[in-house]
Amino acid sequence: MSELSYESPLAGVNAPTGLSVSIREITERGMIDLRGLTSDAAFMAAVKGVLGVDLPVKPRTSVAWGDVKVLWLSTDQWLILSSRAKAHELLASLREALKGIHSLVVDVSDMRAVIRLEGEGCREVIMKGTSLDLLDPEYVQGCCRRMRYAEIAALLDVVEDTVFDIYVFRSYAHYTWNFLCATAKAPAKLKLFGKQDVPA
Amino acid sequence: MLVVKCPVCGAEGDETDFHAGGQAHIRRPATHDPAHVTDEEQRNYLFIRINPKGLHFERWRCDRGCGKWFHAARDTVTMEFKAFYGITELPPKDVIAQAKGQWAEYFAKRLEAEKQA
Repeated sequence: MSELSYESPLAGVNAPTGLSVSIREITERGMIDLRGLTSDAAFMAAVKGVLGVDLPVKPRTSVAWGDVKVLWLSTDQWLILSSRAKAHELLASLREALKGIHSLVVDVSDMRAVIRLEGEGCREVIMKGTSLDLLDPEYVQGCCRRMRYAEIAALLDVVEDTVFDIYVFRSYAHYTWNFLCATAKAPAKLKLFGKQDVPA
Repeated sequence: MLVVKCPVCGAEGDETDFHAGGQAHIRRPATHDPAHVTDEEQRNYLFIRINPKGLHFERWRCDRGCGKWFHAARDTVTMEFKAFYGITELPPKDVIAQAKGQWAEYFAKRLEAEKQA
């Protein structure tokens, strides 16, 4: 029997030169889909016992605790981020802790591709593909939300002020990558802050 | 462009971030009394819709947000949203009061039934 080996969705793809921001794929990221009711105190306590941190209940926020990060996806759904190795441990301990509680825990590490944008002007690059106003004060570190990006479903995580992670379903990885590389070309850079260049 | 606001998660966006789900408050007869569903009731449930000029009640889904279904009251002439409310709720009283024709009849019946229950 042949050996199963992990290959990231964008393995072998390199960013072109001449981009205004840095774009790269984040590999080896473990993701766990967690569903449950916030009104169920036993559920919330059990999850806190495993993760060491309260689940974020405020819409479009995330919390980080050590090497684990939890993204709010819906009023009853969260995405738990960690390393791939840690995800296996977390999955087992969550399953154990949530035994008998109405909930769902699934390893979805292979479901999505993660692309990281870094640098000044990331917001402007992402805004070319979405209707969100990323200049709104809501979009600061600790904010995450699902969005319509370049006509497809995507998840945006504001890691830092100039660092953004975009999560898309695996089959859209190349499409999103190509879209980002095209919109991030240096000559196409937008300046939404400050004075615009006057054409000669 | 329609600007929609999800009452569940508070996300606001244009209609491409949401999904219109047709007329609201449709009752499936077989769910409530599976033994006595008439052909007429089943036909009404499947095909007959209210198509008013003016205030209308619809279902929407927060497609690129929390993924939840909710209700909206919209004026089909001005495209103005009058209210957003939960999927298990009735519209706010002041919006119900503005309903005309078939919708007014529907809410009168519905409120009457709730009073008796």
